[in-house]
Amino acid sequence: MSHPSIVSEEEESREEIIGLLQGFSKGRENLIPILQTIQKRHSYVSGLAMKLVAEHLEISSSEVYGVATFYNQFRFHPPGRHQIRICLGTACHVVGGDIILENFERKLGIREGQTTPDREFSIERVACVGCCALAPVAIVDEATHGHMAPSRVEGIILGFQIEKERLEREKQAENSEEKELGENL
Amino acid sequence: MKLAGVDEAIVRHRQLVDRARRRRAEMEHRELPRIEIGMATCGLAAGAGATKEAFEEACAVNGLHFSINPVGCLGHCYAEPLVVIHNPGFPPICYHNVTPGKAKALVKAFLQEGDPLYEFVLGAMEENDLIPAVTDFPRFHLEKRVVMERCGVINPEAIDEYLAGGGYSGLLKAIQVSPDAVIEEIIQSGLRGRGGAGFPTGRKWRLARDAGGSHKFIICNADEGDPGAYMDRTLLESNPHQLLEGMVIAAYAIGADRGIVYVRAEYPLAVERMRTAIRQAVEYGLLGKGILGTDLDFECTLFEGSGAFVCGEETALIESLEGKRGMPRHRPPYPVQKGFRSLPTVINNVKTLSSIPHILKHGARWYSGIGSPASPGTAIFSVVGKVVHPGLVEIAMGTTLRTLIFDICGGVPNHRRFKAVQIGGPSGGCLPESFLDTPIDFDSLTKAGAMMGSGGIVVMDEDDCIVDVTRYFLDFTQKESCGKCTFCRIGTLHLLNGLHRMTRGEGRDTDMEMLRTLSEEIKEGSLCGLGKTAPNPVLTTLKYFPEEYEAHVAEKRCPSMRCRALTAFYIDLDLCARGCDACVGSCPVEAIFTTVSRKKAIDQAKCVKCGECVSACPPEYNAVLKVSPPQLAPVVERPKEE
Amino acid sequence: MVRIVVDGREIFVDEGKSLLQGCLDHGIFIPNLCYLEDMEDPPGSCRMCFVEIEGMNQPVVSCKVEPKPDMVVNTSSSELLRLQRTSLRLLLSNHEAKCKACPSNRRCILQELVKRFGVRIRPRRYDHIDREVAEDIEHPLLQIVHSRCILCGKCVHVCQRQYGSPILTYARRGIDTIITAFGDVEAMYALCETCLACVEVCPVSALLLREPSGAIEIPADGSPEATIPCGGATP
Ligand SMILES: Cc1cc2nc3c(=O)[nH]c(=O)nc-3n(C[C@H](O)[C@H](O)[C@H](O)COP(=O)(O)O)c2cc1C
Ligand code: SF4
Ligand code: SF4
Ligand code: FES
Ligand code: FES
Repeated sequence: MSHPSIVSEEEESREEIIGLLQGFSKGRENLIPILQTIQKRHSYVSGLAMKLVAEHLEISSSEVYGVATFYNQFRFHPPGRHQIRICLGTACHVVGGDIILENFERKLGIREGQTTPDREFSIERVACVGCCALAPVAIVDEATHGHMAPSRVEGIILGFQIEKERLEREKQAENSEEKELGENL
Repeated sequence: MKLAGVDEAIVRHRQLVDRARRRRAEMEHRELPRIEIGMATCGLAAGAGATKEAFEEACAVNGLHFSINPVGCLGHCYAEPLVVIHNPGFPPICYHNVTPGKAKALVKAFLQEGDPLYEFVLGAMEENDLIPAVTDFPRFHLEKRVVMERCGVINPEAIDEYLAGGGYSGLLKAIQVSPDAVIEEIIQSGLRGRGGAGFPTGRKWRLARDAGGSHKFIICNADEGDPGAYMDRTLLESNPHQLLEGMVIAAYAIGADRGIVYVRAEYPLAVERMRTAIRQAVEYGLLGKGILGTDLDFECTLFEGSGAFVCGEETALIESLEGKRGMPRHRPPYPVQKGFRSLPTVINNVKTLSSIPHILKHGARWYSGIGSPASPGTAIFSVVGKVVHPGLVEIAMGTTLRTLIFDICGGVPNHRRFKAVQIGGPSGGCLPESFLDTPIDFDSLTKAGAMMGSGGIVVMDEDDCIVDVTRYFLDFTQKESCGKCTFCRIGTLHLLNGLHRMTRGEGRDTDMEMLRTLSEEIKEGSLCGLGKTAPNPVLTTLKYFPEEYEAHVAEKRCPSMRCRALTAFYIDLDLCARGCDACVGSCPVEAIFTTVSRKKAIDQAKCVKCGECVSACPPEYNAVLKVSPPQLAPVVERPKEE
Repeated sequence: MVRIVVDGREIFVDEGKSLLQGCLDHGIFIPNLCYLEDMEDPPGSCRMCFVEIEGMNQPVVSCKVEPKPDMVVNTSSSELLRLQRTSLRLLLSNHEAKCKACPSNRRCILQELVKRFGVRIRPRRYDHIDREVAEDIEHPLLQIVHSRCILCGKCVHVCQRQYGSPILTYARRGIDTIITAFGDVEAMYALCETCLACVEVCPVSALLLREPSGAIEIPADGSPEATIPCGGATP
């Protein structure tokens, strides 16, 4: 069952996806590049998107679905605003990357591969991100955090929450200013 | 038959090289300081971006003129961000771990005042009287750089830098002889595929050339899926033209008109640099129709692999190129007979193809003189885990594991004891100390039960648990099984479950035997290389470290105290300092409480065994201890809440 | 025709056919689960049809071998038996054997193989692995019992033969692989109503005709809810 807001988001994307598809010829070989393009643009591949791709390539929706669900790369739900990626490559594993992952999971109350209900955070595990000398490593949005420790998890998430509250306060302040302005007029 | 237009090609290549050299000379002639920053994924992850900005800012503030050249990766990952400064009047000097702070200090002290800040120096890049050269260090001089020679030296996004160093002259040599002669040269060189199995490359090409037909494919396999290895990525990010040159030579030799570089999408920087390289090569007439004015046509594209380890297997790779689920197919037919779009297709690894230009340039005899007779050439490993200098290392085949781990990578840090080395990633094996004098080559490793595999090497010390690491690799292969065939789909899960049980203290008496027989059967019964090699870590560890398994199963004890279910932390009340609070805040789950004697104790029911309190406890007390099995931890009651 | 020797017996088999088919044609039984006679390129995935061929150092699956003149084949060594037993046990460890409630009871290929190889229908050697799949197939006429399915792929094969681009598909990967369908329910109804070859071919009654009352109602706009693997706490 899909959430109503997501369904309407999907519908909104319809025209755009049809537009994207025009850039690709109808060969089956384009299937994976098309799905990648859609995901790059919309951050996930919706059910509707898969059906549109099937129509474009003139294959069954089932086949698109079968291919998309085979590969790790494709997501079928919108990810969180902040993506937390924990390296569980070999070097990170031997120095306790799983403990870091667990701490994020516990702190956010979700499991790896999931998104928080407010769609703020999602957690993913990744293989070696190429800085094993800094293991264990977590990548939060674009920032790489090397030599991660469980005690740093709280700080990272708190940082985002403070930032969010600050933005909200500013917005509120703006709103009330506007309101005041309106009232004064 | 000779290729039409070869003379024209020689002239054109000469022009390209001359122009590139002129441009480089101009740059060097300007007598300005030049800063080279390693900006491959590893460098960027370690903060090279911020370092670059710091250099730019500091120079702007101080009104200095200089140039910054982003280069690839030198392989010295322990020292990233790595910077080489060419300051006129000094030899080029390499600095390690250059944080933005260090960058600013260097600009001021070195570029402005001429003080090279010896405390930050790793070494000079060439021999001189002032500063010890890096080549004096074993990490440098015991290596044998062929394929990685220019990595971290040239700007990977500038084709001119590759050309200025004699780039594409291997291709020029190739087209002056017949395709058959090129293949013969590769056969003579003894080059074996670096993708894992070590199939002779020349023979593969011969088969493809003989396969007939007017369209053929050459595919570069850069789907590097080993979760702890990244040499292919580094080659793409640091020297993409070397690979392209190898591909064009391969295309000429086998008669292929189309090429595909299959890079995993998780490597965005490699994808981007490869795309740039392809575009530049087309602009320079080194790729596309009528290469360098000859009759040779070769178009090359890039495909982003969607993240499935099994797609590194060649038949699965082809399936995924065709837009299908990446499930391997039975071989024969082999791709050289019937590959992509049912056409003859050569699939080679990045390192294999990147070796080709060197063989053409220096000759088969030169190449076969490196390494050991049955495995000539060099091998690139990413050495991670418990070593002082982790990173990428290129060595001549036949070098022993001991030299690689202890001499080149500095051995095990913190005075811990070496325990084991896992070679070849998830399909490889785990070897104990007694195998340290094994020469690294295809056959010796296979004989020892490991394999060259992906080239990932993990060094383990006494704190690493063999059963846990085996479980880690099995967890990986089990998740990556495509699910097509019974043995691999279901069998690996039974293996994994057995290992899980052991690490949780629920191992059964029959489990070791179950692991052993089922592993053998999965190897025999699986359809593709993934299933056939997945049990290797299990089999080798059972063979070389049976006592670790027995401790887990019979005593529910983890000898290296890694398996969390089998260990416990406790605070030794004799060591703990009354009134000290250092550990309390460090615990993520508030498991640490104050005892009646105002010392600290751990609530075992809450403890998640992350070990944070161990690092938090001041070294003069060192009161947090670890035991296995967990029942050995003394029980301390939490005082009643008031 | 090619002359080959199977278990000491000389037979002549068709050139284009697989070794497995050749043997079956001559009444030599080799256990097989994923093979159908009309398959051009059998998947070779069930790993049951192993034989030994002289000159090869390892057992090979006979459905992927082309008979060569004077090939000497052995179909029943203890080594082969061991592999086949393990293959069967592994499959059974991931198959819910509630035979009494199963329409295939007494004509089930698994029961037959169990008898032949003398293994238990619920193997003791391996723990049972549940196939926890929450979702049913989004198909107006078909129903699938994932816990029965042995992923032989015959249903996908016959569907593909019928339509080129099949309505049934494998989805996901590894141990989570399932057979399912996805897309426009109305279209499926139209295509499948007259075919249902997949139900026919399924050897273990994993694919069934939906009870009339259990049919999915087709929403007015013809687009059913997508069966997307659940990846998040958000729906
Ligand atoms: C599960 C599996 C994963 C593989 N992954 C890779 C890979 O990431 N890169 C690679 O070059 N070869 C990989 N191979 C080996 C390829 O199938 C193939 O042998 C190789 O690309 C041939 O190139 P070479 O002759 O240059 O070694 C893999 C094989 C298997 C069975
Ligand atoms: S061995 Fe594993 S990965 Fe290979 S075909 Fe079988 S199930 Fe797929
Ligand atoms: S549903 Fe039946 S026919 Fe289809 S794969 Fe499963 S067992 Fe085979
Ligand atoms: S394993 Fe984590 S960065 Fe390499
Ligand atoms: S029948 Fe040959 S592998 Fe299934």
